[in-house]
Amino acid sequence: MTSRTSLATPTTPPAAGAPGPAPANKPRDTYRWASRSFALPALAIVAVLLYLPFLWTTYLSFTEFNGLGDPEWVGLEKYREMFADAGFFTSVRNTLLWVVGTLVLPVGLGLFIAVLAHDIKGSFWYRLPFLLPYAISGVAVGVIWTFILQTGGALSEALAFLHLPGTELRWLLDAPLNTLVMIVAATWQGAGVNALLFGIGLQSIPKEPIEAARLDGASGWTLFRTMTWPMLAPLTTVVVGLAIVGSLKTFDIIWAMTKGGPGRSSETLALTMYKETFVNNDYGLGAAVAVLLTVVTVAASVLYLRRQLSDSKEL
Amino acid sequence: MRKSVCATAALSALALTLAACSGASDDGDPTATGDGDAPAEDVTISFYTDKAAWEPSFEEMNTVSEPEGLTLSFTGYSDPTAYDAFVKQAFRTDSVPDLFTWHTGGQLAELVEQGLVAETTDLWAEAEANGDVPEGLIDNYTIDGKQYCVPLNVVYWTMYYNKNIFDEHGLEVPTTWEELETVADTLVENDVVPFHQMNIIFEFVWFQALLAGHSPETYEGLQTGEASYTDPEVVEVMEQWGEMMDNGYFIDPGVSTDPQTLLSTGEVAMAYFGTFFTGQLDSVGAVSGTDYGVFPVPNMNPDTETNQMILETGPLCVGAGAENEQAALDYSAWWMGEDAQGAWSSSRGDVSFNPKAEVADPELATLVEAVGNDEFQVQMRYLEATPLPVYTLSTEIFGDFVTNNPDPVPGLERLQAEAEAYWAEQE
Repeated sequence: MTSRTSLATPTTPPAAGAPGPAPANKPRDTYRWASRSFALPALAIVAVLLYLPFLWTTYLSFTEFNGLGDPEWVGLEKYREMFADAGFFTSVRNTLLWVVGTLVLPVGLGLFIAVLAHDIKGSFWYRLPFLLPYAISGVAVGVIWTFILQTGGALSEALAFLHLPGTELRWLLDAPLNTLVMIVAATWQGAGVNALLFGIGLQSIPKEPIEAARLDGASGWTLFRTMTWPMLAPLTTVVVGLAIVGSLKTFDIIWAMTKGGPGRSSETLALTMYKETFVNNDYGLGAAVAVLLTVVTVAASVLYLRRQLSDSKEL
Repeated sequence: MRKSVCATAALSALALTLAACSGASDDGDPTATGDGDAPAEDVTISFYTDKAAWEPSFEEMNTVSEPEGLTLSFTGYSDPTAYDAFVKQAFRTDSVPDLFTWHTGGQLAELVEQGLVAETTDLWAEAEANGDVPEGLIDNYTIDGKQYCVPLNVVYWTMYYNKNIFDEHGLEVPTTWEELETVADTLVENDVVPFHQMNIIFEFVWFQALLAGHSPETYEGLQTGEASYTDPEVVEVMEQWGEMMDNGYFIDPGVSTDPQTLLSTGEVAMAYFGTFFTGQLDSVGAVSGTDYGVFPVPNMNPDTETNQMILETGPLCVGAGAENEQAALDYSAWWMGEDAQGAWSSSRGDVSFNPKAEVADPELATLVEAVGNDEFQVQMRYLEATPLPVYTLSTEIFGDFVTNNPDPVPGLERLQAEAEAYWAEQE
């Protein structure tokens, strides 16, 4: 009861004609401090769960540490080791392949499906089967596609049955073929959700400009290129942004299908980070790769979003 | 009679009191018993392992250990990598595991160096005196002259073969390398793939089998830095391995079907695996002695005097300073005994390190008997015998070799460079 009274006090207006009114900004300051204190728990959670681990990882990247005892400061040695490792550049190449491949296939195919299914009767049923694989975990997708792509697997058998070339290809053994077919597996899983997002974007486009363009004689590819695509830009920004970040940290499908092998031929930066840290017990080197991956992911996201947002402002 | 009953009761009470005093002490020192006797009260020992699938066997063992007053509270991880990270993190907290499974070699040495595992020198002395452990096994658990952990299990690496395929082609179990090659050639001529091999996880196993049988001294020398990966013996082994691949002896490493399925269906005629493979074959319905058998891999070099047997052993470790450290040590002592190992071997259908424990599987029993009769020179498995950085690189080199069969020399040179860097750091 007492506390309720005291809380009410600052907001109570002074009695008319009362001497010495309180300074005008005092209630506002109190309110501001109160509001800040409400934000503190959220800020603390972000600091503890996000900032601290990143700072700790960054610190580890300058140390020699096997997970036991205390980390030993070695300066930039782990970064030197990372760049001196030939396997690291294989990881960079494969990561780039994943970024480009993901933009071309799951995003491109998703857009294609969405456009084909747009404005036709029963489009939901057309898009639904593409969405189903999204409900499966990446590891399960990897296992399924391993059965298909292994030597003598379903794909080779089908090609042989149909007398088509390619039966001699070692899908998961030869680089960069193994990375490319794993991108196809990721496409099987991810294209549907991109189609769904693009479908939502297409539905949100106002009909009037499209109708006007049609009256002006635009149709087909011209209509899509000059009207639909620019008006899809906000949604495309989200889908492409998510695809870039997702592809930079691809892990589960590769781990399930090849574990980054044979040798290190299909390893990506995310796998390198995991293997160095938890398999090879070189926490410092794993942290160095993690820091690099974080910098690359954040930089790519910021650069892309800044460019896209400035473009949309111009629009 | 009444006097005697009273005396017995009094003695029992005294014994219980003394036992209670020697159990978990009031001063909080968990190591206060020190005599290895069973604790006075039932103790539940926290037990962590990366062998989640073995939970039913450990539950069975609880019924055997219960009279000793020792019960395991089982926590199993199915991902070994996640498990290793968990154990390391556990030692950074107050929740040190009482008992946990780990690895021999460099990874055990890391824990010992940090003082994280309890010493078991006394337990080993007693086990050796009782004849509960075979000769040489102790080397896997010895660091700077002291012992740490006890063996959870042992695995012997041997050749499994499909008996039906051998019978179909009139083949006898080979006892020399030449005979093994003849068997392989016959199988190839009949469109049967002779051997299984993998380019991940077990990519190193043919290297260990060939090198141990070609030059045991070089195999041992690689473990200590006294031999080089570029030594002629190692190059010869790699060339032999490559030639076997050229001859079509191995299944394509791109086949990801389970090896037990491949062997039991006859898609491969032989598979070189640890004795844990028996359980995997049983799980697909293959019958030991009827559908499949085992034989030791003959020495690649006929001049090698002793037959070679690769041994893999997994440790059962006690966390130093754990809440139930003494009880966990008592469990470790009990674990090495004949009763525990007989029950374990029976439950797992696998071999036991204790020579007195009965091995139910006749194929494995013959193998274990031969090892027990010193018919083999027992060698550590390559994975545990090799320094971790060198082993890590070897997975890449051997994985590529199994897949593409390239010129082995550049890979061996990289391995040697890594080994030299490692041994230079140790000086």
